[in-house]
Amino acid sequence: MPEKVYVGPYRPQLVEPERFELLVEGNRIIDAKIELGYMHRGIEKLFTTKTYMQSLALAERICGICSGIHTLCYAQTVEKLMNIEVPERAKYLRCVYMELERLHSHYLWFGILAHSLDEHKAFLKIMVERERVQDLLEYLTGNRMNYLINTIGGVRRDITPEKAEKIHRFLNESKSLSDYIMELLNDNGDFTRKTKGVGVLPREKALEVGAVGPTLRGSGVASDIRKDDPYAAYDELDFEVIVENDGDVRAKALVRAGETYESMKIIEQALDNLPSGEIVSERKEPKIGEEFGRTEAPRGELVYYIRSNGTNIPERVKVRTPSFANNFAILEMLRGETLENVRVIIESIDPCFACTDRVTVVDAKTGERNCMCLK
Amino acid sequence: MGKISVYRFLSAGCNGCDVQVLECLVPRYKLAELNVEVVSNPEEANVLVLTGGVNIKGREELIKVYEKINPPKIVIAVGNCALTKEIFDKGYPMVGPPDQIVPVNFYVPGCPPRPQAIVKAVTQILGAKLEEKEDYWVTPEGFRGKHEFDRDKCIGCGACAQVCSSDAIDIIDEGEKRVVRINYGRCSFCAFCQDECPTQAIRLTREYHLLTNNRGTTYVTNDVNLLECASCGTFFFPQPQIDWALKRIIEEKVPKYLEFKDEILDAMKLCLKCRREIMNVKKAKKTLAELSAKARGS
Repeated sequence: MPEKVYVGPYRPQLVEPERFELLVEGNRIIDAKIELGYMHRGIEKLFTTKTYMQSLALAERICGICSGIHTLCYAQTVEKLMNIEVPERAKYLRCVYMELERLHSHYLWFGILAHSLDEHKAFLKIMVERERVQDLLEYLTGNRMNYLINTIGGVRRDITPEKAEKIHRFLNESKSLSDYIMELLNDNGDFTRKTKGVGVLPREKALEVGAVGPTLRGSGVASDIRKDDPYAAYDELDFEVIVENDGDVRAKALVRAGETYESMKIIEQALDNLPSGEIVSERKEPKIGEEFGRTEAPRGELVYYIRSNGTNIPERVKVRTPSFANNFAILEMLRGETLENVRVIIESIDPCFACTDRVTVVDAKTGERNCMCLK
Repeated sequence: MGKISVYRFLSAGCNGCDVQVLECLVPRYKLAELNVEVVSNPEEANVLVLTGGVNIKGREELIKVYEKINPPKIVIAVGNCALTKEIFDKGYPMVGPPDQIVPVNFYVPGCPPRPQAIVKAVTQILGAKLEEKEDYWVTPEGFRGKHEFDRDKCIGCGACAQVCSSDAIDIIDEGEKRVVRINYGRCSFCAFCQDECPTQAIRLTREYHLLTNNRGTTYVTNDVNLLECASCGTFFFPQPQIDWALKRIIEEKVPKYLEFKDEILDAMKLCLKCRREIMNVKKAKKTLAELSAKARGS
């Protein structure tokens, strides 16, 4: 007789609150449902009460961990609406800042993965080393998170030669952390044993549920917006899209570990080839119409849609965050797994529920729950 | 106070503060030496750390969690969302800030507060001493912290209040004074006010340790004198702004107006209402006189 098991909403292992309803027979999960809403703030509605500039700060606060990429995606979409040409130097600087953010986000994920595998030594080691990225971002942008470095038409702070040197020094130091993570994943120890073959998401299923980012790349699909639809200066920089074919938690971890090396490569190239010139262009009036923009966030493809009526306040802003696309992959991965692995599987997509929280609509007659796509 | 067991609660925030709380556990901040640990069950905890502005769904959970916390039940609200809901204030699902739902003892402003600020707050609450020799206790150049006014430069124009992304700046006219009030407990530290200020009167300093036990004290204010209307006697416009505008328009931009300086000054001493009444009649008379002279001439 199957029984229902509830996980959450407030579980200390996960950073954020959410609730999973699992249908379990014995120790096996037959079906899973997700219930969100503990982080819902009505952001898409708030967008229509602020000016384009003020909304930058709002876009950033959709998610504190990948805050920079939200402002970049928003700013790029508004730049299309306002028909602004971004200076070359700003494009390169954007790449530097966004790859630093990817590093901090991926390292945080490894920390949390180690935590959810009860590997406290690894957790502490990763978190200690990760402080370097945070200190560097604070030094470059003025805040540890929510740095508001991207603005409409460019970036707000330049990288001087002495700042560049500090970044180079950081890159040399942080390689050792990526090496340490790679070793953890390859040495056939506890880390490998607990993640190998767990939560397999086959290639076909990944495509079917519309997974994005490292979740999709871990299932053998080479999809990366930085390559497929280049923005900023990514078309002029040389990097590889990391793909793993196993589809399990370890494959997703390997993809992210590989990406940290690629990020360092991108930052080094961007700093070496930094063009001179302005870092921000002047803002213009938005045209009447709609625009669509996408970027590769640390968690996958991020999409913004903005409709303008010609005033300084947008008429409609729609955000499709990567975690929303990946949530369906969790449900797929949970089926057939045992209860001990629930935690690590949920963590494996790097869920960001602040990004993705929806309104749940309950049908009063039937009691049926449906998630609606309101940010 | 013996062992400190902290339970984290987050509802309707961006996650940033929660990660900062997590970072406090890193050994370099030495929280473990103070006997502080993070627990996974509210029944084992005696300190509750709140982040986020609390929405309808989180409200019930918050009350449930609060009841389970052991005495002395110290509640610390970390981050500006937990103080004032910050940028999400007008969001439809928001019911917070948390101190409207459960009693809160201490507030740590910031967006997000640095882990250093949280650690300092905890040590101050415990009355412990902390060694701050290392570099990371000092904020880097360009850090966006608590605001500071240059009292001589501020002209009270209110440009900062217009560009503020989270409605943290209020312009209050009281009698003969205009008060510009920045609520850094509601600020998102975007520094748009600093960028936009025409006289560079607002500066974000490197101060980050802003712990308080009263949400009503998180203000930085400046006041400027208002000009009295020469006709009806109401206070209507900041005096420094008129001086600034006159200097800018007449002396820097359009020197040919210099000979009308006194007339312009006179006109500016009238409030909008009086100006409309008096000046328009004068102008109308002048225009009529010009028209009649033209007609007679032809």
